Amino acid sequence: MLAVSLRSLRFVPPAGVGFAMLLLCGAAAAQQAPAAAPAPAAAPAQPWQQGRSAAQEESTLHPFAPHMTGRPAQELPINTLRVPPGFKVEVWVDGVPEARSLALGDKGTVFVSNRNGKNVYAVVDRGGKREVKTILKGLDAPNGITFSKGTLYVAERGRITRYDGIEGQLDTPPAAKVVIDNLDPNRQPGHFWKFLALGPDGKLYFNVGAPGNIVMPNYMQASIMRVDPGKGVLETVALGVRNSVGFDWNPKTKELWFTNHGRDWLGDDAPNDTLNRVSKRVPNFGYPFCHQGDILDPEYGKNRSCAEFTPPVLKLGAHIAPLGMRFYTGKMFPAEYQNNIFIAMHGSWNRNTKQGYNVTRVTFDADGTPTMRPFLTGFLTDAKADPPMWGRPVDLLVLHDGSMLVSDDYNGIIYRVSYAK
Amino acid sequence: MGATHRARQAATVAAVLAAGLPMALACGSAVAADADAAREKAQLCAVCHGPEGNSTNPAVPSLAGQPAQFIATQLFQFREGNRKDPQMTPLAAGLSNADMNALAAYFSRQKPAAPARASDPAAVAAAQRLTEQYHCVQCHGAALAGQQHIPRLSGQQRDYLRAQLIGFKAGTRADMDGNMTSAAQALSEKDIELLADYLSGLDRP
Repeated sequence: MLAVSLRSLRFVPPAGVGFAMLLLCGAAAAQQAPAAAPAPAAAPAQPWQQGRSAAQEESTLHPFAPHMTGRPAQELPINTLRVPPGFKVEVWVDGVPEARSLALGDKGTVFVSNRNGKNVYAVVDRGGKREVKTILKGLDAPNGITFSKGTLYVAERGRITRYDGIEGQLDTPPAAKVVIDNLDPNRQPGHFWKFLALGPDGKLYFNVGAPGNIVMPNYMQASIMRVDPGKGVLETVALGVRNSVGFDWNPKTKELWFTNHGRDWLGDDAPNDTLNRVSKRVPNFGYPFCHQGDILDPEYGKNRSCAEFTPPVLKLGAHIAPLGMRFYTGKMFPAEYQNNIFIAMHGSWNRNTKQGYNVTRVTFDADGTPTMRPFLTGFLTDAKADPPMWGRPVDLLVLHDGSMLVSDDYNGIIYRVSYAK
Repeated sequence: MGATHRARQAATVAAVLAAGLPMALACGSAVAADADAAREKAQLCAVCHGPEGNSTNPAVPSLAGQPAQFIATQLFQFREGNRKDPQMTPLAAGLSNADMNALAAYFSRQKPAAPARASDPAAVAAAQRLTEQYHCVQCHGAALAGQQHIPRLSGQQRDYLRAQLIGFKAGTRADMDGNMTSAAQALSEKDIELLADYLSGLDRP
C-alpha cells in the first residue's frame, strides 16, 4: 500500500494551497542570500508567518485551530461566562461543529456556517428542544451566509449562491443557484474566506481578503465588494481593507460599518484592529501602506503618507481579531443599548499576552465619540497560556425576541444572551 | 511490510467491523464520556494501531499519547473525505463527532511505549539540526510531543512519518491550515529519510 501511495503521490500535481505555497516559496527562496555551506533552504513561510522579522522566526506564536468535532457544553466551564447585571448567558445549542457566521430565517430557523468545514447547518426549535440539521454539504469554505425574503445566500471561497425557499424544505434543500462565480480564480493564499451580508440597497456585500499578512494585493483583493443578486455585476465598495469578517449598516444613516484585521508581526501593541465606516464612494483604508489610520507600514509605507487614507472610527486593540459586528435594534435589551454596536472578538494569537475572546459593546456619546467596554467575558482563562482560552466568539445574531446569539467556532457552540428586568 | 500481512490485517478489520461496529454505533453519543465504551470501540483500532494504540506496524501510526484534538481532527478529516486512506476512510464514515471525541480522549490517555526501533546513531546530529532548521519544534513543541491539533512525532513509526512528509511535500496530504504543506516544500528526499529515522527512534519525554 505504501508503494502504491508513493507512486500516486508523485504524479498528482499539487493544487490549491499547496500550489500557492510553491509559488510563495519560490519567491522566498530567490530573496535568500546563497548559503556558505550546502545546508538545505529554510522552510518557506506560511501566509500567517509572512512578514516576520528575522528575530521573529523563532517565535512560537501561532493561530489556534478549532475543535473540528466540537466539544459538548457539559465538558466546558460555561458558568465562568459573565454578562452585565440583569443579563443572562446560556448555552443555546451545542453540537454545531465550527459554528461561524449566523443568519436568521423568516420562520426563526438559525443558519450556521463553516470556514474550515464544508457545511451549512440549520438549527430549528422544536418546542424548546433545538435540533441541528446539516442542510448543505461539500461546500468550499462557506463562511458567509445571509438570509432575506425566503432565500439563503452562501458565500463560498470563489462564488456566491442562493437557495430559494430553503426554510420550508430543510430536509430536502433546493439546488444551489449561482449569483456570481469565479471570485477566486487563482485560489489565493491568505484570507480567502468571505463574510456576506445583504445591504439596505438589496445588494450582497462581501470581503475579498489580502492574500497574506502584509503583501501587495491585486486589484480585487483587500477590498469590500458588492453584487446585485439580480444582475451579477461586481462593484467595489471599499479598498485597503486587509480582511473584514463582519459588517452591518447603521440603522439611522444606512452607512456601512465594518471591522478590519490589522497586520501581524509588528509587535504586541501595533497595529490596532479597527472599526470603520464607509461614508463616501470607495474609500481606501490604507492597507498595505498605512495601518489604523496613522502607522505607516515599515516596508510598504515608505514614501507614503497616512493622510491620503480614511482613518478608522475606533481602534479596537492589537491582534484582538474582531469578527461579527451588529447594531443592536432589538426590543429586549435596555433602551440605552439601542443602536449600540456589538463586536465579537475572536481573540489574539499574534501577541505574547493574549487579549480579546469576548463580545464588546460600543456606545456613542452625544457628539458621536465611541467608547467600548466588554459585554460578554470569561472565555479567556490565562493570557499567557497556550491555548489561552476555552472558547472563541465569532458572529452575533439578534433574534426576533431581541435576545442575541453568539457563535463559538472553537467548540461548535452557540450561546444566547437575554435580558430580564 | 508484505501484502499478505496487509491482507490479513484488512480481513481482521472487516471481521471486527462486522461484529463490533454496530454495537459501537448503537452506544451513540450518550457514552462519550464513558471510558469503558471508548475502550471497547478502541479494540477495533487496535487491530492496526496496536494494543492501547502503540503500533507495531512501521506504516501505521501510534495513537497512544497523541493530543486528543489531533486524533479527533484526523478522524474528522477522514470522515469528511479531506484525508483519504483505504482503511481509515470507511472506518471513519460511521463515526459521529461524539465517537471521535471519545476515541481521541481514550488514546490520548494511553501511555506511549518505548520506540520500536533505534535511530541511526551516525545520523542523529544531522537530523537534530534539521528539526531546528525547519522549525519543527515551533509547532510540535520542544520535545516534539505535539500539542492541540498538532501531532506527537517522537517515537512515531518511521514509514508512516516518511509517507506523511512525502504527501505534504506533494500537496496531497490533508492539511487544514497548510502549515505542513508549506514546511515540507524545502525538504529533500534525504531530509525526509533523516527526519523519519530520527523521530521514530526518539524516546518520549
